[in-house]
This record gives sequence, C-alpha cells and structure tokens, in this order.
Amino acid sequence: MNRALPEMLNCMNAPGTFLAGNSTDMTVLERQRARMKWHQHEHNDPIQLHQQQQGYNFSGNELSGVFPVPIPAGQAQGFMGLVCGDSEVKPDPCSENRWAELGYGSCGLVVNNNGAAGFEEMINGHNNNGNISRTFSCPPTVAAEKKSNDAVLSQKISSPAGKESFKKRKADKVQSNKAVAAEDDSTEKRMKGCAEEGDSKITEQTSNKNNTNNDRESSGDTSKDNSKASEVQKPDYIHVRARRGQATDSHSLAERVSRTRGVSDFYKSLSLLLQIILFNCLCQCLIVIIQVRREKISERMKYLQDLVPGCNKITGKAGMLDEIINYVQSLQRQVEFLSMKLAAVNPRLDFNIDDLFAKEMFPACAANFQTIGMTSEMTNSAYVQFNPVQQMVSSCGLDMGINSSDLALRRTISAPVSIPETFLDTSCFTQAPPTAIWDADLQNLFNVEFQQGRTTPFQSQPFTGSIEASNLKMEM
Amino acid sequence: MTSITTSGVTLNIKSCRTKFAHRFVRSLLQIRNHAPPSSSSSSEEKLIQKRRQRIKIAAYSSMAHAVGPRMNWSRALLFKLRNRACRHRKKKRIVVIRRKTKKASRSSQGSVPVDQAKKLRRLVPGAKSMDLCSLLEETAHYITCLSTQIKVMQALADHLSK
Repeated sequence: MNRALPEMLNCMNAPGTFLAGNSTDMTVLERQRARMKWHQHEHNDPIQLHQQQQGYNFSGNELSGVFPVPIPAGQAQGFMGLVCGDSEVKPDPCSENRWAELGYGSCGLVVNNNGAAGFEEMINGHNNNGNISRTFSCPPTVAAEKKSNDAVLSQKISSPAGKESFKKRKADKVQSNKAVAAEDDSTEKRMKGCAEEGDSKITEQTSNKNNTNNDRESSGDTSKDNSKASEVQKPDYIHVRARRGQATDSHSLAERVSRTRGVSDFYKSLSLLLQIILFNCLCQCLIVIIQVRREKISERMKYLQDLVPGCNKITGKAGMLDEIINYVQSLQRQVEFLSMKLAAVNPRLDFNIDDLFAKEMFPACAANFQTIGMTSEMTNSAYVQFNPVQQMVSSCGLDMGINSSDLALRRTISAPVSIPETFLDTSCFTQAPPTAIWDADLQNLFNVEFQQGRTTPFQSQPFTGSIEASNLKMEM
Repeated sequence: MTSITTSGVTLNIKSCRTKFAHRFVRSLLQIRNHAPPSSSSSSEEKLIQKRRQRIKIAAYSSMAHAVGPRMNWSRALLFKLRNRACRHRKKKRIVVIRRKTKKASRSSQGSVPVDQAKKLRRLVPGAKSMDLCSLLEETAHYITCLSTQIKVMQALADHLSK
C-alpha cells in the first residue's frame, strides 16, 4: 500500500503537469501507465494477493485509511470475523431452503453463503461511487463511468458473484479507454492484468482513497499540487456527482461532509447486516415454534380421531373438525335427552327408592363376585344390597322402604338356603342384567356405601361363613 | 387402570366415572327430596321440565366437580353454573344478540378451519379465548368426560325405567 502511494500520487499529479500543454487523451494514457506500474508493484505485495480471501481485513484497513474518524481496524476486523463466524456457523441445509421459500433468499445468500463477498461488495459500492468519479472524470469516459456505476449498482442489488461483475466493469472501462486513447500496447497489457485486476480492484480503490487522504493530510506540497491540478482541471472536466452525495472536488466542504456520510453509510450497512442476522434468527425461531405447534395440533387431531367414532375415514382438518363438532353436539343432546328421561322417571322413584339403590348397586356386586358360586353370590349381593339401602331409607325416613327391607333381611337371616329363590321373586334381582358400564367403577362407590352401612345392627348378628367371605371380598 | 395422558393432564376415567356417579346419585336424591310432593296446582309438564333442567345441571356440575379444577372447561362450567341465576334474567337478550352474530358470521365466511374452530369454541365451555392447540386438548378431554357421563346416565335411566 505504502509503496503504491507515491505511484498514485504521480498519477494524480500527472494530469496537472500534462494538462498545460497536452490534450486530455494524454492524461488518460498517463494514468493508465501509472496504473500499470502500480499493478506491477501490487503483484509483489503479499498483502494484496490475499486481499480477496481476507475481505474483512481489507475493510478494516480501508476504514482506518479512509475515514477521518478513528475506528480501530482490529475491532472492525473482529466484528467482521464475528459476523463471518455467525454466517459460517449457520449453514444448515434445510434452513437455506426455508429462506428461499420465505422469499428471503437473497438476504440469506448474502449472509450465509457469500457473506464475505456480499459485504465486500456493499462497502465497495459506497466507495466506488466516489472513487470512480474522481479518477475518471474526463469527459470522454463519462459514459463508461456511468456504465460502471450501473454495474456497481446491479452488483449491490443482486449479484453475489463479485468477481465476474468486477471483470465486466473493468472490461467496460478498458473498452472506453481504448476508444478514447487508442493505445494498443497498454490495453493489451491491461487485458493481461485484467484477471488480477478483478481481484485487486478493491485495493486499488482503497489506495486511491488513501492517496487522496494522505495527499491532503500528510504531504502539504503534493496536496498543493493536487489542488492546483484540480483547479486547473476544473474548466475542462465535467464533474460527475457521486450517488452518495460525494463531491468530485476532493477539498471542498462537501467532500468532508461526504466522508462523514461515508462513515454513517458504513454504520448503516453494519446495522443493516445486524438487522438481517437478527431477522434471520427470529425467523428461524418462529419457524421452529410454528413447527412444534403444528406437530402438537396434528398429535391432538390424531388423538381426537381415535376418540370420535367414524372420524378415521375422514382426511383433512376441516372435515375432522366438522365431525368433532357434530359428535360434541350429539353428546350434549344425549345428555339433555337422558336428563329428560331421568326427570320423567323420577316421580316413580318416590315409591321404590330402595329399588333404585338396589338396582344401582346390583351390577357392581355382580361384577364383584363373578368367581363365587351362584348361591353365595346371591346372598352376598343381598347382604350388600340392603346395607346401604337401609341406611338410605333411614336417612330418608320412608316407612315403606324400611318395612320392605326389614322383611327381606328377616328372610335372609332366617332361611339362608332359600335366599336365591326369594330374591329372584323380588323385583330388583331379575330386572338388572349386569351391564358393562357399571362393571368395576361403581365398586368403589359401593364400597363407600358399604362401609358407611356397616354401623347398622346387621353386623352384630351371627352370620354364615359365606357372608363373612363376601365381606372380605367387598373390602378388598 | 386406564389413564389417558394429554400433555401433562392425566385423566383417570375410572375414578372420574366413580366420582361422577357418586355425586350424580346424591344430587338426584337431593332433587327428589326437595321436590314439592305432587302439587296438583302446577301442571305435570312444567314439573317435568323443571326437574329436567335441574337434573341436567346436576349432571354437568357433578361431572365438573369430578374432573376438578385442572381443566379449563370444568372451571368455566362451574363458574357458569354458579352464576346461572344472574344469567337467567338476561337470557332473552343474549339469544337475540346471538342470532344477529350468527347472521354476520355467515355473511363473512373466512377459511374453513377458522370457522369450525369458532363453532367448536362455542360448544366447549370456557374455550372462547383459546388457541387451537389447547382447544383441541380441551375438546378431547371434554368428549371423554361427556361420554362417561352419558354412559352413567344411560345406565341409571335403564335401571329406573325397568
């Protein structure tokens, strides 16, 4: 870089010296030659060879060189490294596809794949506008420059492959220069060096910048010369204003302002990058959350499918939801209907309350004593039946129920052998087939009732072994 | 013991059914005891209607109590039943408003699942401000509970009618 500077100073001074006697063509030629020299230097320079790989290194250097505001290059590099690291950590095959799906393909590409190249380009884009306008401000090259500007713009917007576009732009420049200067040998050389130029274009520009900077700040005489040159050049040149508000005149107030603007532009680009990264992270998180939620919903749907009869055949959320809604509605209607039924039945309950309980308890008992023989089962159930019944009846205070239960109890006590027949005669036993619904669930309910009913005088009376066994069974 | 797990909320059907049966029978007895002993002045239909309403409420409340306050729908149901007296007065107004909203919703039909989710929200108690995920979970639980309730009530009705 440092070696390149004097060359570029020469290059900058050259137009001023030549301009006194010669035409603008000569200035172009001179400049090209100077650049060739500089390129030769550049090939020797080991730093610039690796510049393409260390895109962020470059940006840090450039920062320190170009901008008057002191930004430590190391920090910038560190930050870049961080960004780069992030972008390197990220790439996972499915996420990229997702970005593409979501339409952030371009952003994702910039950050993920060509994070280095893309950023480089962005920065270049800022600098190019100023640099090009400064270096190629001769009237014949205006069109070419415009072209190049366009190329830069297009680069910035879309193309991730920076090298090719650089080459293209260079080629454009070469052609324009050819047309103006008509210097075959120099253009040939340049065509040779074009491949390296594509790579080293960035460094060239930075050196240009540095050149202008040092020009003004460090070496006073050269700056004077330069200012002279610029003053002399002014009438002949058509100044093309840079896009980002950078003035063509390097020593005007506008230039300084533009530099500060450049800093702000850099920060803007940084913040934009950060925003993109944050946005990507957020999007990824959102996608994960949405996926989890979807999985949950599908799981629930499957569960509901098992639950709702006739829902297995239907595919699609809407149909399943319809089916579920219908099922819930039918269930609610059923509840209403059953409550109606119970209400209609209820008045009859007043007369045979014990029957209700006997019936209610019976299936549970039947389920309980499936293993025991028929007669013992009957006795058990009878015993079991009448305890709660008695209790309930006593609590209700109905004489009828008590009488009936008393009678039944007496029968059971007096004639244990004839229990099945007598109970088969009574209403409760014959009516109740052991339904599957009541199987084992009312056992617990019954147990509670049974233990409450134990306090009755029934217990104190001597009983046969079978009934005691049944007691044990019930407690189990 | 059969138990169903729906994301942390375990539903033990058997214990639920037992609790429900216990509560429901008790409430039935209470209803019968508190009922006026065959007042001849009021007509039979009215009495039956009243009783039906009471039985229905008893069934729902006993189910909600059996489930406990873990689920959203049971809490909402209990709250609704508790504040039934207040709501009873405003019933007519609410019905009118509902009709209007129904018409409005029909006129502006969105995507199909959203519409159906709305319907489902109306059916499941306490699901008006829920996301789809928890709505489905609540619905599943509600359906299981309703089916057990229906089974118990069916059995009771069968036994009583014979």
